[in-house]
Order: sequence, then structure tokens, then C-alpha cells
Amino acid sequence: MNDKKENSGFKSYLDEPGLENVILDDSQRTKFLDGETVVMEAQKVLMYTPLTEGIKKTRGVLTVTTFKLSFASAEETDPANCYQQNFLLGVNDVCLSLIDSIYQNGDKKKKLVPGHNISGKVKELLIVCKNMKYFEFSFILSSKDSGKNIANALLHHVYPKRHQLLFAYDCKEPHDDRAIFKEARLFHTIQDWEKELQRTGCQNWRLSQVNRDFQTSPLLFEVFIVPQSVTDGIIIEAVEKFRNRFCPLWVWGTAKGAALVRMADLLPTITDRTEENKLLEHIRKSHPEKKPPHIIDLSTPNPKEIQSSYLKLRDLCTPDTPSKFKQQDFKFYALLDSTKWLNHVATCLSKAVEAAKKIDKENCTVVLQEGDGQDLNCVVSSLTQIILDSHFRTKYGFQSLIQKDWVMLGHPFANRLGHILSKKLEQSPVFLLFLDCVWQLIQQYPTAFQISDTYLTTLWDSAHISLFETFLFNCHHQRILATMGSLGPQIVLRSIWDWREQFYDRDIALFCNPLYDDSFKGTLDPSPKLYNLEVWGQCYFRWISDLEIRKGGKPQIDLFTRYLVSEIMHIHFNLDLSNGKLSGKMNRNKDEYMDLIQKVNSFYPFSHNNALVNNPINNVLLTGDTLDSQSILNLNNE
Amino acid sequence: MSRKTGSLELLDMDANHFSKEPYRSETKSLNLGKGQDSTSWGKISPSKSYCSSSSTSTENVVSTLERKKAQASNDAATLNRPDDPPLLPGEKITGQSRDVTYLCPYQGPARGVLTVTNYKLYFRPSDKDSSNIIDVTLGVISRIEKVGGALSRGENAYGIEIFCKDMRNLRFAHKQENHSRRNVFEKLQMFAFPLSHKLKFFAFEYSEVFPENGWAVYEPIAELKRMGVNNDMWKITKINERYDVCDSYPAVWAVPAQVTDDDLRVVSNFRSRGRLPVLSWIHTESQATITRCSQPLVGVSGKRCREDEHYIQLIMDANAQSHKMIIMDARPTANAIANKAKGGGYESEDAYQNAELVFLDIHNIHVMRESLRKLKELCYPNIDETKWFSGIESTYWLKHIKSILAGAVRIVDKVENHKTSVLVHCSDGWDRTAQLTALSMLMLDPYYRTIKGFEVLIEKEWVSFGHKFQQRVGLGDDYHSDADRSPIFLQFIDCVWQITQQFPNAFEFNEHFLITILDHLYSCRFGTFLFNSERERMAERIKDTTVSLWSYTNCNLDLYRNPLYWANTKQEKVLVPIASIRHIQLWKAYYCRWNPSMRTQDPVYQRIRELLKLKEQLENTAQECRREQQQRMTRSNASPT
Repeated sequence: MNDKKENSGFKSYLDEPGLENVILDDSQRTKFLDGETVVMEAQKVLMYTPLTEGIKKTRGVLTVTTFKLSFASAEETDPANCYQQNFLLGVNDVCLSLIDSIYQNGDKKKKLVPGHNISGKVKELLIVCKNMKYFEFSFILSSKDSGKNIANALLHHVYPKRHQLLFAYDCKEPHDDRAIFKEARLFHTIQDWEKELQRTGCQNWRLSQVNRDFQTSPLLFEVFIVPQSVTDGIIIEAVEKFRNRFCPLWVWGTAKGAALVRMADLLPTITDRTEENKLLEHIRKSHPEKKPPHIIDLSTPNPKEIQSSYLKLRDLCTPDTPSKFKQQDFKFYALLDSTKWLNHVATCLSKAVEAAKKIDKENCTVVLQEGDGQDLNCVVSSLTQIILDSHFRTKYGFQSLIQKDWVMLGHPFANRLGHILSKKLEQSPVFLLFLDCVWQLIQQYPTAFQISDTYLTTLWDSAHISLFETFLFNCHHQRILATMGSLGPQIVLRSIWDWREQFYDRDIALFCNPLYDDSFKGTLDPSPKLYNLEVWGQCYFRWISDLEIRKGGKPQIDLFTRYLVSEIMHIHFNLDLSNGKLSGKMNRNKDEYMDLIQKVNSFYPFSHNNALVNNPINNVLLTGDTLDSQSILNLNNE
Repeated sequence: MSRKTGSLELLDMDANHFSKEPYRSETKSLNLGKGQDSTSWGKISPSKSYCSSSSTSTENVVSTLERKKAQASNDAATLNRPDDPPLLPGEKITGQSRDVTYLCPYQGPARGVLTVTNYKLYFRPSDKDSSNIIDVTLGVISRIEKVGGALSRGENAYGIEIFCKDMRNLRFAHKQENHSRRNVFEKLQMFAFPLSHKLKFFAFEYSEVFPENGWAVYEPIAELKRMGVNNDMWKITKINERYDVCDSYPAVWAVPAQVTDDDLRVVSNFRSRGRLPVLSWIHTESQATITRCSQPLVGVSGKRCREDEHYIQLIMDANAQSHKMIIMDARPTANAIANKAKGGGYESEDAYQNAELVFLDIHNIHVMRESLRKLKELCYPNIDETKWFSGIESTYWLKHIKSILAGAVRIVDKVENHKTSVLVHCSDGWDRTAQLTALSMLMLDPYYRTIKGFEVLIEKEWVSFGHKFQQRVGLGDDYHSDADRSPIFLQFIDCVWQITQQFPNAFEFNEHFLITILDHLYSCRFGTFLFNSERERMAERIKDTTVSLWSYTNCNLDLYRNPLYWANTKQEKVLVPIASIRHIQLWKAYYCRWNPSMRTQDPVYQRIRELLKLKEQLENTAQECRREQQQRMTRSNASPT
């Protein structure tokens, strides 16, 4: 296969009158942010289209900066304008934080080790990203050492060991700190927590400021909500006993009295559970009917298991050769089974369903308990709230939920997302597991959510842009220190929720689910059964362009519904506002959607195929292997 | 978990006393294994609220509607006793047994009355609140067994077990006294397997009259004309009018204009079962064609037939755009070679110049039957969650679906993108060939994606070209282990469903239409799928003596419409589905439909229907406003200010 690639590469070397550099106009050239610096650049780099065995390729300039890896080519950009455009990153750019693994392709595929230097020649690089994106670059046309230099630049900058090396500290872009969060609460003030307590109507709990200035539990937020009967003195004593100093804290509740509480395990050195029991007794007393709480243990899957499962799943989503694609296709469901990813999804969902039933049906307080209290606790706690509280199924509600249960209650994003390399706290896509669970809920309740699958996918992509503060830190205290300049250069906080920093309104519009029925306020009763779960195709498969259904797939349903809704809004608008006087003006949106339906492919808006061009069918992927028929025959003889 | 709650209860009794009584023991098990999961989750009842439509998974919309209709007529007659089932015209009760227990694998046993008619089995639970009405057509039954004897011990040990072709089994328990199951068992045997008892299909007794005549849906000549035949290159021939050239082919074919009748007879003799190449579809612009046939009778000696070679050349020449012809042999290479020993084989590229032979690697009817058997094991009655994905893998079902779809996509690619004609065959040309031609036509021609067009497609490629429905489905006979039975047509419908999933707005019909077709594939209520060939159907005068399935469906079109269907001229003409296992899913709404915990896609379609209705209402209101406004305008114009 490698021979083939070289051959085709060599051919084009002769055919194309291209010994000179690629000529780019201003719109095609890589753009830089203020504060971003170029580390390395290589001319005449070939980018291969996956699964075409190097036959389809683009020539361009590859640049490594302190922020991103960028490939700029003279190829036509999408004229239909129907793909998600990011202001910070070009179509073929990825933030360095998104990159997960770098492989040297040659006679053998070799994974490059972070921090090491390459001295030999590098002909080809395969880059695999955390969001399953993967691309292959070839340096056969580039000048000597180009490949090696790019590889070394990446190895040096992709895996920072210290937080201060992240781009957010260097970024000089002006930031408009407008207050855009009227509806989304960020839970970074006492008032937000107070309002949440009031909103739920949950009685007998109080706000404590014992953690002011992060004195008690530096990994948590400054406000604790604890049973009325728990004094600050009790808390100060109690946190000593818990891992991460994470004593039982209220996160949500109902007016009937049941609450959702999170806590960590006791320290391994503590064998006497008296302290824990005391607090649980306070929790019982805070229940109007004095019902004892129901404890749910969340020790499995742990972050290590999640990561290993994710790596197997990613392998299924990033086939770099046609033969690998076919091998995987041949036993896809067995391979999917062995990733155990959907089993983990099922576990999380079933725990959340358990918690929700206890709270909703039995009016029983639920206490979630997990080792450090900051991984699966976040997943199950937020899922439970989504199941029970329709507010969290709205766009702003969902954002506040993530702020409350993930950002402020100390999910260690910096380590889990792999922003920084650390042996202490391993990389693990716990957050992706959560997003996948939410996606499954949307599949089962397609009209109950204001957010769309495109929103979830975008959220996972954006979580890896090392410019936004939301998912950058391990805890809020770290964020505060960074803004004060105690960690490095003073940082400007740019929230990920300000989507206008990244996208046009037309792309933001796709974050809303057109099927959403806002009159539905009930609780959900999702099925956590494995056979009711599906693979999140949009997020995981979108980079395999041969899997993209031309002018088909879910976007067709989505856009048709958008068309319908905008049509309905349009008539409504005319009927209401004009008071019977109908204006003849047509709503432009409606036509845009009609137009889009005819243009888009199934991975829209993450598509990399142009729907207007009839791509040839990749016959290589259609033919079976003789292996196939033989094993099927064997099966029959069994 | 029980450990925790247990100690909490303890504490509840002595609430103010913390220190000694722990909430739980000190040793904490890390193992939150499957056992615990299953105990805490096994009992959760499936959500009813989820299905917003009134139908449950065990009874579809049609049967509900039908029941209402039948109920109304019964009420009028007031002859029925309350336990009696609603009856169709021509249907009569043949046996009844009271005090029967239906052993539902999901909701547990229910007592009630079991009735057998000449068309269906009907169980009504005595508990009026129970929704567990069982309404099964007898045609769907493949096997009936007695369970236990007069002396069997244990509750519900004595009764009947029924094995169905639609992925379920039913167990009924009878009282042991007086051979209480005998009457029902005998009647079931008799009417479920009429042919084995010298009886006729129910379709011949069924006398409902519909305003539409489904037999008029497919007119072979009209369909050929729709594609522009006759033309310079293709002609309609009635050489087989008396079914003497090929007894499993229809009376009317389209063949290359230049071929002589004598040659057609010679070619027919060189093809297995006389099934020579004839036209299935022609591209109205490029003139590239899809033709179908059976394998050539080459044999071990490599026999050749000049007329056959010439005939293939004529088919190639009928398409001026290409100097090549692709022969798609649906079989795996090994099978094609093995067929030589039995006198069959495949076209050698030496003998057929300019023809390229491609093997599509689709397996035979026996492999498919075995695969579905495994699938049923996996899906019914209960699903072992721990083996779900590996189970799907080991059935190979999706892999077979994939290879069929991939084959059809390759045909489409040749015809559409390379403007090359394709000849399709397998061994006899009535199973895999029908799957491939019908699917590629569905992908190429939007007409077949309408409700009526799809009916035409089935009538044409399956019914008229002699897919042996009676044999493959095992209609009316009790030979349940017949090696000729195979779910070939089901597989085709599954493939269609896969395409509808990939192109949700390209089809006028919905999933429910497909399931209805499958239900009546077995039901024997309509004449459509009875017998094996057009010749047999003509002999039975089926069009005069039975009702067509399409009479029934076309009177209920609203039930089968896809709200997303977008019959726009700008719509994509050719669909190219992605034939990767990553896109191919198990059709749970069909294979697992008896399982009440299975989730479906209904809410999406329900919501879109709601929106469409809302839009219509608003448009009406707007129109009224406009009218009012105009009236006011005319009035104010008329009256001087």
C-alpha cells in the first residue's frame, strides 16, 4: 500500500509543474490570532483523503503554531457555504489541544512519543485527534527535513506539561466581555446557587460560605449547599475525612423534599464511617418526611476503563487504510461490543434512571458516591437532572447544568481532556461519555430537548480549543488564580458559551432542535438497555468521508423540520402582528432550508464532501474479501 | 444495593442513634456487577407514555383501525358474543376454547378465551383491562406443537405451542381435563395448513369489497411504456403468452428488438429453467439497461451457445453509450464454480467478448434461512443484553444485508455513472436476482419510491418473474423444515428499509407500509403472494377469485404515507446508499417488535405530522383572514367615505 502511495505521489511530482511553492491568495492562507506565533512551516505538503490509498490528495502549506496545526491549500473552499465555519480555525485546522496521537507512516506505522526528538527522515505523518478526526500528510514533495521538523514541532507543542503553556495564556485577541448570560447561569456566584435552591423549591437546605476563598476544599466551588442542621463547624471537620475534601453537597432537589446529593469516598486511611454516617443522618433529617437517603455507588466504570474503551472506539472510527476499513466492517458489531463503550453508556444511564426513580417515584433523597467525586458523579448527577427537570433540556438550562455539575464542582477538565500531560490524573473522556448519554436520551426523546446533536458534537469539538476557559481548568480555584495572574500571564476568560466567538448565527441556529416541543415538562423514562442504544454516528464517523450519505441522512429530517417550523412561524407572525393584515413578504429562512436540503450530505454540518459534486463510489470498500464468504460458509457448517 | 438499603432501614428504626450503627459495613465491595444491575432493572416496566400514538408495539395501526371497523359491523349485527373476535367478510369461527392461559413472555400469564377462525387465532383475556389481545393470522404459523400430556404436572404444563414466521412463538396452556385443547389444536392445524388438509387458502373465501382494484396496479405493457419501450432497440414480445417458453416467467417481456423468436427459444434452452435474459429496467436517457436471467448451462465441459452469446451482444448493442457489458453474478465465486458440476455455471469472458463478469458474493437461500433462525433466537422472546452486539455479529444477518445492498449499489454505479448495461443472474434467477434488480431499480428510479410504484416493483420483479413465494414462505403447508423455505423477500424488504433509513425523505411510504406488506406476505388473506408463478396464478384465476393486497393498502393510503416525503422535481433521482455495516442497523421495529421495551422512531414522525397539521390549520386561518380582509376592502371601497 505504501508503495502505491509513493508511486502516485511520484507521478504527480512529474505531472504537476509544481516544484515551486503553492501559491495561495489571502483568503486561502492560514490566519493567525493575536498572540499566536508560528513554530514551523512546510511547503508543498500533500494531504491525503482517507481511504483513497493516497490517490486523492491536496497540495498545500502545513503550519504548526502555538495554537494550531493548519493546512492551507489552493483548493476551492465550499461554495455552497453549508458547513460549520469556525472563526478561529480554518476547515483544515485543528487546535493543538485536539491532537491526541501522532504516527510516523512509513514501512511501518510508528507512534511518536511526546517529548522525544526525531532525527531520521519523516515521509508521512498520521495525526489522530480526540474528536476522531484524522489526517495524513506526506512530505515527499517538500524540502528535506520538512517532515521531521513538523513532527518535532508537534511533539514539542502538542503535549504541554504545564498549564501556563496553553494558548489561553498567550492570546492577545481583544475580548468583548459583554454580559450575554442573562438566561444561562454560570454558577460562579453565590446568587446563582441561591436561585437554584429557590427554583427547585427544595426545603431544609442552606447555603454555607465555609469554603470562601477555597479555604476548606480548594477543588470545589466557594458555596456549599448542605442540610440546614449542618453547621460550618461540622463541614470543616467533615471534609478532612473525604477524598478531595468532597463532603456531601446538594446539587438539586424537588419541592416535595427529595434532594440529589454528591460526595466522594472517605479517605482510604479512614476505616470508621461514623463521620459519613453523621452527615447522612443530617441529610435524612433534612427530608420533610425524614426518609433515609438512597446511596448509589459509582465506582465503575472508572476513568481508566472509560479511556481504554474510548481508545478502542476511536480505533473503529479512524481506519487509515481501505483494508482496515474492510476488516473492521467485516466484524463491526463484535468490535463495537469489545470496546464496551456502549456498555458504559448503558451503565451511566441506568444509574441515572435509578436515581431519578428514587427521587421522582419514592420522593427519596439520592446520594451519589464515587472515589474522588468528580468523574462519574458528574455524569450521573447531570443525567439524573436532565431526566427529571425539563429546564435542563433547554439550551440555557443545559449550559447551566454543565457549569454547575462539571465546571464548578471540579471535574478536572485540564487532565481528563488531556490539555496537559500528567501522570497524576490520567486523560479520560468522561465528558464525552456524558455527551453520548445525552445523545442517547435525545434519540429516545427527540422532542424533549431544545438542543440538537449538532450542538453536542460541537461542544465536544470546542472543549478542546485551548482558548476557552470553560473546560480549561481542573477546578474553579485554578481559574481564579489564572485570572489574577498567579499561574503565568494573566488570563482573559472567554466562555465557550459565547458561541458567537466561534460561529455565525446560521451555524448557531443548528444548535437548536427543531422537533423540540416546549410544552412537554414531564420526566423522561429512558431505556438504558444496550439494544436501545446506538452509535453516535455524527460525532464518531463524520471524518470517514466514504461513510457520508450523499443528500441523505438525518440532516434531511432536521432541515425539513426547520423548514416546517419557519413556515409556521412565518404564518404566525403574519397573523398576529399584522392583526389580520397579511403582508406578502416571504420568510427567507424557509427557502434557505429548502435550498439546503438539496445540497447537504449526511454529516452536515460537519461534512467534507461537496454534495453538489457527484463523488465516485469507492468500489474498493464495496467488494467483499474471500475471507468473508469462507467464514460465512463455515458458520453454516457448524 | 440491598445491603445499603438494609442498613438504612435499620437506622430508620433508631433514628437518633448514629455512632455505633453504621449506614453500611466497613468493607466495601468494589464489584457492582451485572447481577446487581439486573436485579434492580429487571422489573422496570416499559414506558407506555413514550409511544405517543395509540398503537402498542404488538398491534399496529392498521389492525387497530380494522378492528374498529369490524367491530362496528359486528355491533350492527349484534350476533356476536362478547368474547368472539371481530370477523372479516368470509371469516368464520371454527373452534373456541375457554379457560385458556396465554403465557406471555413479557407480561406473564393471562387467562381468557381462545378462538380459531378460518383466518386467525384470537385470544381475549378475561381481564378487561388487559391489553394483551392476541390476534395472529393463521398463515403466519409455521409449526404447532402440543406441550405436555394429560398426566403432565405443574401449572401451565399442558397446552399448545405455536411457532410463527414473524419472529415470535406463542404458548397457550389448557386445562388438563377432557382433552380441552383437542378441538382448538385440530382446527389450528387444519386452517393454518389448508393445503396439507386439501383446503383452499382463506383468500378464496375472503369477500371484502374495496373501492379500488389492486389488481389493476400493475399492467406490464403500461409499465414498459412508462420506460419508453417499444423503441428502436427494445420490443415487447408475447412469445411466452402460454408460458411454454419459460413457465416461471410472465407472459409479456421486453427483449432486444433485433432478436428472432427462434433465437429466443434457443437461448431459453441454454439457461437454467429456461429463464433467459429479459429487460427489467432501462435508463430513459442513456439507454443503459438492467436485464435479468438465470445461470447459463455451461457445465463441466464448458458448453457454449452461439445464440446466447449473440443475444448478450444484442443487449450490449442496444446501449450505444458503452461498448462493454457487465454480468453481475450474485453468487460467491466458489458457489458459481460448484454449479458447473450440476450443469450450470457462469459466462466465460472468452465466450462473451466485451462482457465483464463480477461475482457479488451473496449467499444462497440455505445460508439466509440459517441466519434468520439465529436472529430469531437472539431477538425473541427476551434479549440477553450482555450478548446483544456479539449476537448480532454471529447471526451474520446484517452482513448478508450489506452484501445485497453493496451488490445493488455496484449495479447502480455501472448503469448510472458508467452508462453500462448490466445483466444480473444467480443460479435460477428468482431469489438473489430479484433482490438485486428490484433494489437497483428502486435506487435508480424515483417512481418505484412512491407507494404505487413500489407496488408495481413488487408485482413486476417478484411476483410476475416467478419468485416462488409459496415455496419460500411455505404458504399453506405444514412442512416447516422444508429446505426450500427462505426469507428472501423479507431480506429484500429489510434492504428497502435500510435505504429508507439513509434517505428519510425519498420514499412516499413509511416503515408501517413495509411491515404491512410482510404481515400479508404470510396472512393468505390476499391473493397477491399466493402461488409460485404467473402461470399458476392464471390457472387459479386469482384476479377474479381473490382480493389484491394493493386494494386494501390503496384504500388506506394515509396510514402508509411518510410525512417527510418530498416529491419535488429537484429531489435526487438516484440514491446511492452506503453499503457499510457501520450504517446498516438491525430493523428492530420489525424483528423485535413483540418486545414491549423496544424503542422506535415514532416520536419524530408523530411530531412532524403534528407540525404539518398545525401548518395546514394556520394556512386555513390565514386564508380566512385574507378573505375577510378582502370583503372588508370591497365593502369600504363600495361605501363612500
